[in-house]
Amino acid sequence: MVETRDKRVSYYLLLLPALVIYLSVIIFPIGLSGVLSFTRWRNFVLTGFVGFDNYLVILRDPEFHRALWNNVQIMLTSVFGQIPLGVLLAYLLFRKLVRGTRFFEMVIFLPITISAVVVALLWNRIFSPVGLYTNMVRVLTGNPDYVVRIFENQDWAMVPILVVLLWMHTSLYMVMFLANMQRIPSSTIEAAKLDGAGEFTILTRVVVPSLANVLFISSIFAISGSFKSFDLVFAMTGGGPVNYTSVMSIYLYRHTFTFNNFGYGSAVSVIMVVISVGLITLTRWIYGRVQKKYD
Amino acid sequence: MKRLVRPGSFPVVFLACFLLLAPSLLQAGGQKEDDGRVVLTTYLQKDPANPQFEGHNAVMEAFAEAHPHITFRHEYATGEAFHQKFQAMAASGRLPDLFTTYVGKRTAYITETGRVLDLRPYLEQEFLDGFTPAAWEPQGPEGEIYTVPPSMAVCHVMYANTAIMDELGLTFPETYQELLDQVETIRRAGYYPISLGNRDQWPMNSWLLSVLVDRLGGQEWFHDAMSGQAAFTDRPFVRSLEIIQEMVAKNVFSPGVNQMSNPEANQEFYQGRSVYLIDAGWRTSAMTNILDIPQQEAIYLGTFPRVDGSVRHGSSAAVPSEGFGLNVNLPQDPRKLEAALEFIRFYKGPQGAAIRLQHGEVPSYTLDYDDFDLPLLQRAYAEFQVNTPMGYVIDAKMDGEGMGILNPAIQAMMFGDLSPLQVARSYEEWVAANDSSRVGN
Repeated sequence: MVETRDKRVSYYLLLLPALVIYLSVIIFPIGLSGVLSFTRWRNFVLTGFVGFDNYLVILRDPEFHRALWNNVQIMLTSVFGQIPLGVLLAYLLFRKLVRGTRFFEMVIFLPITISAVVVALLWNRIFSPVGLYTNMVRVLTGNPDYVVRIFENQDWAMVPILVVLLWMHTSLYMVMFLANMQRIPSSTIEAAKLDGAGEFTILTRVVVPSLANVLFISSIFAISGSFKSFDLVFAMTGGGPVNYTSVMSIYLYRHTFTFNNFGYGSAVSVIMVVISVGLITLTRWIYGRVQKKYD
Repeated sequence: MKRLVRPGSFPVVFLACFLLLAPSLLQAGGQKEDDGRVVLTTYLQKDPANPQFEGHNAVMEAFAEAHPHITFRHEYATGEAFHQKFQAMAASGRLPDLFTTYVGKRTAYITETGRVLDLRPYLEQEFLDGFTPAAWEPQGPEGEIYTVPPSMAVCHVMYANTAIMDELGLTFPETYQELLDQVETIRRAGYYPISLGNRDQWPMNSWLLSVLVDRLGGQEWFHDAMSGQAAFTDRPFVRSLEIIQEMVAKNVFSPGVNQMSNPEANQEFYQGRSVYLIDAGWRTSAMTNILDIPQQEAIYLGTFPRVDGSVRHGSSAAVPSEGFGLNVNLPQDPRKLEAALEFIRFYKGPQGAAIRLQHGEVPSYTLDYDDFDLPLLQRAYAEFQVNTPMGYVIDAKMDGEGMGILNPAIQAMMFGDLSPLQVARSYEEWVAANDSSRVGN
């Protein structure tokens, strides 16, 4: 009896440091954000509680709708662009379907080693109105007014950012998938080949099912990462022109740190957390269904 | 049970704690005054290692030499980091003795919350008379003066490349219509009429819209619009937006004006690819360093041409630059207060102004420029300030959050996604409901 109690005390004592850190670093800030989200601030001074007003204003704000839609576009690009492309590239390298796999591994992995800000500056240098690409097209076409108009179109302005995100982050998934593919016993692949399976069948029936866990983890990374997107978008466009490329984190940043409205910013952050947790829960549910099917 | 700490180790633990805390203790203790010296703590938005602040460093050295009994404990930060820490300082009530303070809304979190000393009772009229009158626009609702602006930030100059103008047989346009008429000639010759980099959204507002609104409405109308007696849907504001829209439609700006950063627009002008550049007045400092003498000689400093229906002609827009504010509690220590005022008089007055002028700044304290050997464009900028009436810069008078509505809307209008009236309505709606000049703090 005494031994059991001592054990329990020991467990709690051992758990305590981690629990304190978790509560103070994760739970307390989230809770405080929740409380702050019901307040209004002006010039760094709390001016009063406003109930759900901040949430109502945010949910009615067309700029927030656009930012949310842009985040959804990033998420879709991540989940249905980066991950499938990562699987495909990893499979090409895993099965040595191209020559010079080492070279390709290095080249594909390169973008992720470069800072997002540097990548943004690089792309801006190329496509700006005084950039290399723009000037080349002007010279070749004889049109001195040529600029890349897609940046100014409210429906398409996100496309260049999505392309850069695809280029940058696919490599990370590729490396994760390649590492996991290398754990698949070669005998399994050989057996599939002896049964007459082609590369597509091996990929879809053997390799992808064995990557189910890592695909699930990658999806969670992709979804949560998409809703946190800030650095590349901020450095590439700052959310502009107009607010055509604004994302929720930029929207939050502007209201919190430029306009000093901490209550409003906190409400945005709470909405972001709710959306992220909701989507991750949905992913878990889908994963559970898929796993059951395979079982 | 095993002891956690051996008996003899307490002195070691004490020594370790002391060493850890020593820097903080020394710093806290160092703020005391002794042997007749006065120590002022500061928090300044400056970067002394940056060559741009050579003038500031030179004034500080001269002041230290002339006033050895006054010393400073400086803390510096720049950009957004400066404001974030400053806001935290203000919220905790731990402001230093002297700190960077803006005339406009940028440091409203200290000026509008009673944390800065009103300098009016402490500055002599003779000292105030030495400055350009535009420096003394009211900084608070009762005409408070929280800071002495060291210089004027002129936010509108229409630079012209006279070499290209001579080549094309053009003269600086007297009227807006003349400017529009020049576009075809300029474009046919392979040049762009006006460079302006509006990628960051605020330049079109600060550098062009402000001056157009001043021309069409004047300062009186602007005061009325601020207080709600007039509205931003009135003709002066809407017509100003229409002019910008018309300039886009008639290809007056170089292509991609909303994709182009400010440095890129400058480069376009420096490389002789455009005839005009609309930019801030302080750009002359960069031009002096970058351009060779013949290029500098070819640059003319003018203002946007006359617009039909104007109530003012030839004006620019300017805002007094950020200066030094004093902690509202400083009068409780008369020695510190006198030292801080002495520093402000030296820095902003004739001695400091002369030093800063020699390092490329155009001070708001009026000096006889003939006494100084100034670079060509710095002299031109100084004369421009003396001879040009100045209007308000919109984003210095109105709340920053409203600029988050207005500036993107101007871009949307330039893309054809909004009309000038829609832009004006959306801004007026926001101002009426939120701006501190209408609804108070």
